[in-house]
Amino acid sequence: MYRLLLFSIILGCTSPPSREAFVVKLAMWGPLGELAPTGNETALASIAQPWVYERLVTIDAAGELRPSLAASVDRLSNKELRVEVRRDATFSDGTPVTDVDVIQSLEPAGLRAIKSDGALLIESRQEGLPADALLLNALIFRRVQDKFLGTGPFAVASQTPTELRLARRIPAAGRINDVRIIAYDTPRDAFAHTLKGDTNLIVDVESRWLEFFRGVPSLQIIRGTGRSTDSILFNPELPRSERLQLERILGSQRVRDLAYDGGECAEGSGGDEPGPPAGRPLRVVSWGPFERLALASRRVLADRAGEVSQLVPEEAVSRVRNRDFDLVTARPLRWPPSALALVWRTGAPYNLIGYSNPAVDRAVDAGDWRAAHAALRQDPPGAFVCTREQIAVVDVRIVNPRLGPYEALETLPEWEIVR
Amino acid sequence: MTRRRIALLLTALIAASGVIPVLLLAIFGLRILGDRGERASQEALEAIAAQAAARIATYIAQQREMLRAIGTAVADESDAVRRLADIALDAPSLGKLRLLSADTPQREVPRMLDRDRIAAALRGTEVASETYIAELSPAMDVCVPSGKPGRAVCATLDLLELQRQVQRIRVGEQGYALAFDRSGHLVAAGSGSMRAAVLSGEPVAESPFASALVKGTPAPARLRNGEGRDLIAGWASLPDLGWSIAVEQPADEALRGARTALHFLAFGAALTLLISIAVGYMLARRMLTALELEERFKTAGRIAVGVTHDLGHRLIVLQQIEQLAAMNDADYLPRIRESIGAEVGTLRRFVSDFSDLTREAKPAEFLPIELNAFAESVRAGGQGYAKEANIGIDVQRAPSDLWVRGDRYLLERAALNLMRNAIEASEPGSAVRLRVGRAEHDALFTVEDQGGGIAPERIATLFDSFSSTKRTGAHVGMGLPNVRRIVAAHGGRITVKSIPGNGSTFTLSLPLSGDQSSSPSAPATMP
Repeated sequence: MYRLLLFSIILGCTSPPSREAFVVKLAMWGPLGELAPTGNETALASIAQPWVYERLVTIDAAGELRPSLAASVDRLSNKELRVEVRRDATFSDGTPVTDVDVIQSLEPAGLRAIKSDGALLIESRQEGLPADALLLNALIFRRVQDKFLGTGPFAVASQTPTELRLARRIPAAGRINDVRIIAYDTPRDAFAHTLKGDTNLIVDVESRWLEFFRGVPSLQIIRGTGRSTDSILFNPELPRSERLQLERILGSQRVRDLAYDGGECAEGSGGDEPGPPAGRPLRVVSWGPFERLALASRRVLADRAGEVSQLVPEEAVSRVRNRDFDLVTARPLRWPPSALALVWRTGAPYNLIGYSNPAVDRAVDAGDWRAAHAALRQDPPGAFVCTREQIAVVDVRIVNPRLGPYEALETLPEWEIVR
Repeated sequence: MTRRRIALLLTALIAASGVIPVLLLAIFGLRILGDRGERASQEALEAIAAQAAARIATYIAQQREMLRAIGTAVADESDAVRRLADIALDAPSLGKLRLLSADTPQREVPRMLDRDRIAAALRGTEVASETYIAELSPAMDVCVPSGKPGRAVCATLDLLELQRQVQRIRVGEQGYALAFDRSGHLVAAGSGSMRAAVLSGEPVAESPFASALVKGTPAPARLRNGEGRDLIAGWASLPDLGWSIAVEQPADEALRGARTALHFLAFGAALTLLISIAVGYMLARRMLTALELEERFKTAGRIAVGVTHDLGHRLIVLQQIEQLAAMNDADYLPRIRESIGAEVGTLRRFVSDFSDLTREAKPAEFLPIELNAFAESVRAGGQGYAKEANIGIDVQRAPSDLWVRGDRYLLERAALNLMRNAIEASEPGSAVRLRVGRAEHDALFTVEDQGGGIAPERIATLFDSFSSTKRTGAHVGMGLPNVRRIVAAHGGRITVKSIPGNGSTFTLSLPLSGDQSSSPSAPATMP
């Protein structure tokens, strides 16, 4: 009896066997780059931005602004917002977020903020660009020496040229507390390591390659609505009537069928048109993954089909800037609605083809996205062919994985894991 | 042996005779079934592999045929380059369609075709590379003649469709197909866990078999994969392409049908066994009951014969005494009294014999008995009868105490019975000897007389009920059967040796009790 009691006490005092912590390992391909809140959007590491840095506002599935680091948001006009910052927010070093931090963070995003009655009045510093569109791109940070502190749930734990480790600031039961972003040389390596189980999350998977992941017991496929639309943009110097005809024929189902086998597009514009307008052959500039789209557009242009130039991105951009093209393949942002201002307003940062439409500008300046879309349709900058869904492959132990409405993995901190 | 034990024995016999053939049939049947099941599974997998190989061969042939047609139709045209590019929309599996000539820049030359093959292609020979993994799917560089000297049409065949076909092959719930190239590298895998090897190029457990198969060495039909799982496999090869196809299914799933049949058969055999046992037991019980009833009737008949005979004899004697008494002659009175006394004694023994038959030995109530003292006690009990018959009783003791466990009353009844028989068989003036001895684990109690002995033909039935030959009127033939019953109930046995004219020796063998050294607490002799 005594021995039994002693055994029970020893057993009770022994710590339970430790279970290996769940780690999300994200496979990517290309140079990892540095994680920073500004100016480094092309680096793979930027995918971690929404986990480390918060925005004052975010956007919901309906396209409406929602406070994030802000306690409240009031739209005073299309150009001016009144924002109260959450007073309980802290940076990863534990220090509270001040108005000065917010003001300094908004500046690189093209926003100006001034204090007013315990709140901040925020306005766009860029002519014609609405404050809320810019606010969605503005991450709040504090620079300490050469580091950027964020207020998000994660903080950078370590980084090597090929791996970025992030840890949740306050570990949460049943949630992902450790994330590793691993950069491989090629998509083939990334796929192979994911199939092998070395990594358990991969994004930007083309539907063509999904076959690899079907039937893999440890992985699940998740899908989300795409934000960008594969498009054929027109040289703005083409006459409006011609652009309207081209928009209808190039945005037709026939082009989608030729370029995408018909079944992968969530949406597209245009309709069927008997034939292209008469005129000189139209030269198509293409790059990256759009070769089939370019060939499809040439096919439907029939007698107006000109040369298709499949170029490296730099060459393509150069040709576009020099207006040395008639049609160019591209993937402009289509969502959220305010993104329209960043892409199609005259002089907007992503307006690569130099499109300018006073009606669009007026609607954008008024914050009337519906009117802006209507104006775009009246004088189209291009044919919007195919909005492809976002696809990711993720560990089956994650019970509620979903892709975010704004950035694919912005919801990762909310994902729950099987206990 | 009790009726229950006899019934069980009979049941076992019936069951064994009925079930052993069934079991043998089941064992051999299952073995045959298992072998045939495995063979059938393997043949089915081979057929699937052959179908897949045929489809792959057809697909590749179609692609190359299409490329030939394009080469012939387009290569001579002035806008051949543009038309070739445009064809990619209609034939997505023909990637990088281009014209090849001596002036083609090196970066445009199909990368998996060496100089010799390129030269052959420009001479008008169709050439093709081995399959390789380009980006994420298998591919093959092919060049076909264009119809013009010094020009060829080349394409990189995108074999993703083949990969899809292989990956979509499902056999049962867990069966899958694998495709290997000539060197044994996996190019498509239906098993999700093996797909990493497609992209990484790492060999898998089946790789050596696959590369050997293309060279003509048969691949095994039963193997273990990288995870150590037992698999049944069907193989097919495409010698021209250098591919081999394996369709694998875990053995436990492939043989599930045979196993199910096995379980049914085993269950059937067990059920048959149980039914046989139940029916056999029931029939055995019924049969034994009938036999017992019949035996009881026979026994009752024998008892009736014996009792009728003995009591009839006594009745005649008593009638004679009654007639003698009816004469009212005082001179006969002593004789009448003596005769009545003798008859009462006879009837008392008669009753006593029957009484002994009703007493059962109960091992749980056995007490220790020391046989030397027991022999003395028996002598004392029979002394009076022996004196009347003018027979002496000698006791020959064992050198040491011999302890047995038993019912003292019943054992003394048995011993007295033997001694009384010996006295009756002895000539007046002779002696009966009671001897105590030991043989290994048994104690021996022997009763010897010097009488006329027993006829040899009588020995065999000596212990049967109602078989006494001493029809003197005082024996119903239950004595020796009762002695045997009592000794058997004590775990012992009785033997007899008799030589006509030289007396008889009856020996009771009783198991010695465990501890012979310690004195028992209970008294050793009859009170």
